[in-house]
Amino acid sequence: MKRYVLLVIGLMMTATYLFPLYWMYLTALKGSSEIFQYPPTFWPSDPQWNFLEIWKNRDMGRYIWNSLLIAIGVTILVTMLGTGCAYVLSRVRNVWMEIALFAILMMQVLPSSLMVTPIFVMFNQIGLLASPRIAVILAQTAKVLPLYIVLCRATFVQVPRELEEAALVDGSSRIGAFFRIMLPLARNGILVTSVLIFLQSFGEYVYARSLIAKNELQTATVGLQTFMGPNANDWNGIMTYAAIYVTPILIVFMLLQRRIVSGLTAGALK
Amino acid sequence: MFQIEIDNLNKHYGGFHALRDVNISIKQGSFVALVGPSGCGKSTLLRTLAGLEKTSSGDVRIAGQSVIGKPPRERDVAMVFQSYALYPHMDVEHNMNYSMRLKRRPKDEIAERTRTAAETLGLSRLLDRLPKALSGGQRQRVAMGRAIVRNPKVFLFDEPLSNLDAALRVHMRSEIRKLHERLNATSVYVTHDQVEAMTMADHVVVMRAGIIEQQGSPLELYDRPANKFVAGFIGSPAMNFLPATAADNGALVLDSDSVRIGFNRDIAAGRQVWIGMRPEHLSLKPGVNDMTIGATVTGIESTGSMTFVVLAVASQPVVLAHAGRPEACKGDQVRLHIALDNLHFFDRETELAA
Repeated sequence: MKRYVLLVIGLMMTATYLFPLYWMYLTALKGSSEIFQYPPTFWPSDPQWNFLEIWKNRDMGRYIWNSLLIAIGVTILVTMLGTGCAYVLSRVRNVWMEIALFAILMMQVLPSSLMVTPIFVMFNQIGLLASPRIAVILAQTAKVLPLYIVLCRATFVQVPRELEEAALVDGSSRIGAFFRIMLPLARNGILVTSVLIFLQSFGEYVYARSLIAKNELQTATVGLQTFMGPNANDWNGIMTYAAIYVTPILIVFMLLQRRIVSGLTAGALK
Repeated sequence: MFQIEIDNLNKHYGGFHALRDVNISIKQGSFVALVGPSGCGKSTLLRTLAGLEKTSSGDVRIAGQSVIGKPPRERDVAMVFQSYALYPHMDVEHNMNYSMRLKRRPKDEIAERTRTAAETLGLSRLLDRLPKALSGGQRQRVAMGRAIVRNPKVFLFDEPLSNLDAALRVHMRSEIRKLHERLNATSVYVTHDQVEAMTMADHVVVMRAGIIEQQGSPLELYDRPANKFVAGFIGSPAMNFLPATAADNGALVLDSDSVRIGFNRDIAAGRQVWIGMRPEHLSLKPGVNDMTIGATVTGIESTGSMTFVVLAVASQPVVLAHAGRPEACKGDQVRLHIALDNLHFFDRETELAA
């Protein structure tokens, strides 16, 4: 009995969370008059397939390419800078490390919209705005690096210390033990966190909007704005655009799920 | 020639003095057990030998060379961890030969030595398995294999059997001992189980709170414990202690019971002591040169071959061990016979053997 109640509650919550997604796909398929129909329809009476048209008309290929470039750049930079840092924070235990970790956590609190003005001024002065996509990569890296470090640190903490010590006794150097033992064992956590960082950067808006002036270099999130007219909004177009943009992300998430669950460190101890 | 020499070793963790003036010399080919209650510093000492802990002062020499400040890989020691610490992403073969691959030994030498070690430990058919597909005992063997494949100067064992079930533990005890003899290795073995220490080692080091309480051969520690702690720690069931005071005429008077014990050692009158009695030196039957006190049977534990009788001597618990089946029942009033030749005496203040 209790199980069924919990199941129903779970299903209701899932439905609530997934409803906007459903509404997005639904609106993308509806005709322009059906969108505003009251009472609303929950299944399109006359499905419209505008995807190819929107892709071509709005130059989505270019926007998504820019988003992809920035997301890949951020992910590479963050993993290169953050992995070592996360490892050290997981292994060295003293007051200074606690302070460092706290400072890192605090940095996460600052929102992009607050940081964008000082970043703009600074980047402008050192001439970084001439290469705006790199500017966005740097700004976004600074923004998501703390998150990456905190999440990765948790993965490294889970890898038993004895494994590293065993490698040291076996004749490995500290760096060797890091690359051959720690890194392969923290691989899942690093992978999952990197994908998270990638997706966050793929959907970045504030920095791209502020630091990128040229439309050819603009990202997909900013590109969505072109649907917003002064008098009317093309809701069907917006949702079609959004559907094209979001679907690959959803697929990546679904593929990733299994990775998160599987435990690679099983069998190390005992 | 000593294979390992530890001179006045000290180790501080901040304000905590983990090892105090530790001195041990270990001969080539000997099997040394470090034993003591948890937190006594035995694991710290082992990790110091491995190079996983820094020392505060003192010297450690392996094969005549000081290893202070050297990282583990320059010490040529192999270690078996309590948790085994097998690399979960490598199969058994690669777990075992990781050290040789790091040293870039020739391929056929690596293959040959891995094969020999695997045969020695009965792992030949498991070489391509991952650690997670092994049982506890098999993992323990792989951890051993990883150590023996290297042919190191010293083997270090950190409670390697504590995760195994009782039967396997007894089996592995003799396996490790046999392996040690076959390889003519020098081994240092940490355990909290004094039975393991007694049965396996040539030389036992008893530690407490970072201090070596006593070291020597197992029977030396059993027969001539230097203080009350060692006396109580070595031997199972543990030695019984009864408080007593020396009288003026060369006799001891039990505090509880005003029973006088004839005594031929020179203890000043009025000195307070503990009388230590091994369970097997107590009997419910009269023997030669013994004395008797009254006691109540409060419990019987029988293992079939041995019987342990728990007695109360004026509310002090005393355990008696004898071979065979129980000779008394719970609640019986009995006469307890104590063999006077095998008594131990410890000063009540210093706890040193009197």
